Amino acid sequence: MTGMNYALLFLVLLPVIGAVVVAALGPERKTLIRWISLGISLVVLLLALLLTAGFLHLDRTDLALAAQSAGKGEGAVPSMRPEFVPGALPDDPSSTRWDWVEIGSGTIQFYLGIDGISIWLVFLTAVLFPATILISWNVEERINEYFAWLLTLKTAMLGVFVSFDIVLFYIFFEATLIPLFFLIGIWGGPERRYAARKFFIYTFVGSVLTLVGVVAVVLACYDRTGLLTFSIPRLAAIVQEQVASPDPQVRSYWQSVQAVVFTLLTVGFAVKVPLVPLHTWLPLAHVEAPTAGSVDLAGVLLKIGSYGFLRLCIPLAPDASIQYGMPVLAALSVVGILYGAFCAYSQDDVKRLVAYSSISHLGLVMLGMFSLTTIGLAGSLMQMVNHGLTTGGLFLLVGMLYDRYHTRKLSDFGGIMSRMPRFGVFLMLIALASVGLPGLNGFVGEVLCLFGVAELTWKHGYSPWPLVLAATGLIWGAWYTFTMLRKLLMGPLKEPGQHATEGLTAAARHAGEQSPSANSGDLVPREIVTLAPIAVLCVALGVYPQPVLRSAEPDISIVAAYAAKARDRVTPLSMAQKGTSVTVQESVRNR
Amino acid sequence: MSDLDVALRIVPALPLIGSIITAFLGHRLLGSKSHLPVIVGLAGSVLFSLMVLVEAPGSGRISTSYDFIDLGNLHINVVLRADALTAMMLVTVNLVGLLVAVYSRGYMAGDSGYARYFAELGLFVFSMSMLVLSSNFLLLYVFWEAVGLCSYLLIGFWYERPSAAAAARKAFLVNRIGDCGFLLGLMLMWTTFGTLDYDGVFSRVDQADPATLTAICLLLFTGAVGKSAQFPLHVWLPDAMEGPSPVSALIHAATMVTAGVYLVARSTPLFVASPTAQLIVAGIGGFTALLAALIALTQFDLKRVLAYSTVSQLGLMFLALGAAAGQPKLAEFAVIAAVFHLFTHAFFKALLFLAAGSVMHAMGDVIDMRRFGGLRRLLPWTHALFLIGALALAGVVPLAGFWSKDEILSAVREASHGPYGGMLTICYYAAVLTTFLTAFYTFRAYFLTFWGEERIPEEAHGHAHESGLVMLAPMGVLAIGAALTGLFFGPTHLFGEYLAKTPIFPVLGDEHGLDWTVLLTGTLAAVLGIGLSGWFYVLNPGLPERLRRGLRGLYELSYNRFYLDELYGVLFVGPATVLSNVCRLFDQYIVDGVVDLVGWVPSALGRVFQPPQNGLVQYYALVTTIGLAVFVIFVVLTLRG
Repeated sequence: MTGMNYALLFLVLLPVIGAVVVAALGPERKTLIRWISLGISLVVLLLALLLTAGFLHLDRTDLALAAQSAGKGEGAVPSMRPEFVPGALPDDPSSTRWDWVEIGSGTIQFYLGIDGISIWLVFLTAVLFPATILISWNVEERINEYFAWLLTLKTAMLGVFVSFDIVLFYIFFEATLIPLFFLIGIWGGPERRYAARKFFIYTFVGSVLTLVGVVAVVLACYDRTGLLTFSIPRLAAIVQEQVASPDPQVRSYWQSVQAVVFTLLTVGFAVKVPLVPLHTWLPLAHVEAPTAGSVDLAGVLLKIGSYGFLRLCIPLAPDASIQYGMPVLAALSVVGILYGAFCAYSQDDVKRLVAYSSISHLGLVMLGMFSLTTIGLAGSLMQMVNHGLTTGGLFLLVGMLYDRYHTRKLSDFGGIMSRMPRFGVFLMLIALASVGLPGLNGFVGEVLCLFGVAELTWKHGYSPWPLVLAATGLIWGAWYTFTMLRKLLMGPLKEPGQHATEGLTAAARHAGEQSPSANSGDLVPREIVTLAPIAVLCVALGVYPQPVLRSAEPDISIVAAYAAKARDRVTPLSMAQKGTSVTVQESVRNR
Repeated sequence: MSDLDVALRIVPALPLIGSIITAFLGHRLLGSKSHLPVIVGLAGSVLFSLMVLVEAPGSGRISTSYDFIDLGNLHINVVLRADALTAMMLVTVNLVGLLVAVYSRGYMAGDSGYARYFAELGLFVFSMSMLVLSSNFLLLYVFWEAVGLCSYLLIGFWYERPSAAAAARKAFLVNRIGDCGFLLGLMLMWTTFGTLDYDGVFSRVDQADPATLTAICLLLFTGAVGKSAQFPLHVWLPDAMEGPSPVSALIHAATMVTAGVYLVARSTPLFVASPTAQLIVAGIGGFTALLAALIALTQFDLKRVLAYSTVSQLGLMFLALGAAAGQPKLAEFAVIAAVFHLFTHAFFKALLFLAAGSVMHAMGDVIDMRRFGGLRRLLPWTHALFLIGALALAGVVPLAGFWSKDEILSAVREASHGPYGGMLTICYYAAVLTTFLTAFYTFRAYFLTFWGEERIPEEAHGHAHESGLVMLAPMGVLAIGAALTGLFFGPTHLFGEYLAKTPIFPVLGDEHGLDWTVLLTGTLAAVLGIGLSGWFYVLNPGLPERLRRGLRGLYELSYNRFYLDELYGVLFVGPATVLSNVCRLFDQYIVDGVVDLVGWVPSALGRVFQPPQNGLVQYYALVTTIGLAVFVIFVVLTLRG
């Protein structure tokens, strides 16, 4: 499988190589820059499809079975198993021999790999890649820098999802900030400087705390075992072994370490997700960012936060995830679902509306995740992909609208369906996917998240209110989305005045040198090509989500098993409860 | 795969294929022939659903397609099932669908959205067929929402009209409220029984504790209340009349709104085990039936009268579904009565809506009964067909409505001798009163439209004319159904015997002969209603006006739909909007304000202590990263030593 290993390596490195090339070409060779960027995006997409296909063909049932039985309390939790690792050891294909920096007795490795969780986020990133290039086709100002930053951002995002070395993970994690900072700060809307600064400082403070948490967990493992390792699978395995230690002193040591690690990682990742009340950078950054920036921000970068929880927070601090994570994060998630939806409804700026809807949707992602059941975790992953597709799609559509009219105020629009029917159909479809209409992808994610929470609620006797409140999200989501559709698409035709160009922003300046009326036709073929893959995937994943669920199940089950073990340690009482409810179910089934 | 397996797949597949062809090719290639793929598909579906009708009850076939979700202990497969109840629904849906599609060929001709209309219609019939073919509750929910989407799209078909846009949104949102409860019910069901398959759930009913069971039933019923427009979620259906009339006939009278009835009938084993839930179903049904009938008395929009009538008739069906509270032996008879009424109602109500559409077509889209009248000579065929529908709805012997309504009344009357007799007796009299009111308002609409002096609004531009054969023929078929289905299936017990083969009825009920008291009461109520209406609107045209002045308060209450829309506006919509604005401002100024304040403190301090700030974020990032790296290396090295 060496081919796949190199495919993974190229997938990550190709965009940044392209960035260097594009930057070197200078700002004058515009057409060449565009086509090179598009070519790179298509190659990356091809590599991602290849990896996905290869991954779907792997037989990982042994891992799934081991993880599932560990979740039921039989046997140890199997170690994370990244596939397609470049530089893999012949006897252990899940580890790499590519050392990078030696620190004392430990080595930071260039340790890349793909598992059932990361493959789908890589897939999502790659699918959105050509779209972000195509939507930026009309950028004129400092074009080489623009595409260079955009390409660099892709490497950073892809890198986060495939890193299995914790330092490498952190470097990619941090590296996402800088390109986006410049994309917002230079090519953004009227308040771009303020937005960029706020975005940077806010998320940077979060990441610094994440770093301290990362250092803390590495050092704690070193302290206890004398083994200095930066490999995420090994760290998770060490933590797993240590927290289950028979020695009460070791256990209490790890209790306090976990509390610290969990808090630090959580703050860092919660800013990224974002969880209420750490979200206020998001509407601003989204509104001010150029369309491609918004698409990457909403589509992929927010998932880096939730992915961090899944990849690091729960495996490295499983007990704390149950003790503090579940009550606190679940509560914040529910608040986020409702608060985001209510904030979204009364926005007049469509982009702001979509930004707030992200807060609501990510609340559901986090709630499903912190049900810490296999179903909820899978729903959470599914919903990450869905949200990336639908919100990415919505931002693309809003961008296309803005290119034509240079305004996004809902109150300026009406009956656009009759002016731009193709735009209307795409908007309708993607909006319906976003509110979770069955047959489209959002439904599967929502249902799985909620069913995960339901399983937790009724098996362990928690209060049903979080579930009920989260389920009302169905209503609120439809409320703001259908109101937006009605105002924008339906009713008598109403278009913003031809003079709505006052206060032209940077984005508008290069987007439309021509007069707005010349641009206000229906979608052009380039735009249809941009949107079509997203629309097709919304339908495909909605009708047949099983490939995603099946391929992610082993790795999801590992996370669920960490959580299940932690639950048994933290609340021995709940084990008894679980035991009885399981027997009830089993007896029901036997009859 | 047996023949039946093939038929089960073909029935939903044909309309879907037709819909897809029309959606992608209609606008450019097919043009005014866009109806062809859908109509041909529907015709095929009707034939195959008749085959299912013949073969299904014997086999009780379940046919798997593919795994939708298979994860951990959640298994949802796309599994089609065929039993008597499904087959009966399938035939109704596809037959009415076909007739409505043919009618639409004439009604929608020349509309700029002609292809879109047929594509959405095909999608609806596909979704509705799948809804009744599903063999687990989650799949049912999937298509439950899908038919809701089609309803949304078709109500908002003329999206340029603000009223249509608002009605579409309202319909979807009100339905979502019910669906939210439905989904919670599914979750509770899944955690209770460990499965969502009909068979699995029904075979484990006795293992759930009664409180949980009641909760599950009531949550499912919440969904039914939304979809079937029962009080308090009935407010969307009258507004849904903004859609084209054939859509009102198909979706908002004959099929989609009966999905709630289908759901409760399908879940009979659950409801039978929970008398509390049944009683609530019966109570809501009876109350809605009466409430909607009272509102229908004073409306002037012909289609809205019919819409309230639909709400009222659906209420009667729910009354029957819940009537067997505490008497499991009665359940089969009561549920069959409800489904029988669903079946006959599909014919005569679809007929009435199509006839109303024909009137609208002739009147230049005017539907206010104050603006036209005396149309019986201008539209003789429409008049005759409307009359058949009206007689059937009013429950006049021997038309369809008479037999099914009689069965419902018999079931409720019999139930009122049981353990919950008090409440069911009230429900019985409410139902009798509803019968009387139904006959009255139906014939009020009939007399106002077709009798009296001939008046035609100027919107008709003097071209008011009878509809063509393409519209009249489907109405004729429906009229035959409205006239004869009752007589053919009712007194012969054919319908009951067929439906009783559905394997969801655990207890075989007793034989039920004709209840002469009920028969006479029902007929008397109907005749009285018609007679009174004739006296009011034909013999004494000034009387309603005098009565209106005399009973001003009551009239206003009915005319303004008991002010329920206004009440919801004040209680829910207003506060939610205010809360939303509060959240928006709170987020912008308070939450973000605090953040800015926190951000301002260090920079203010920095301005005091560190004048040479260069403002380059790269510089800060670099310094911070280097600092942290030094820190990490320092700590690691120290620890090693």
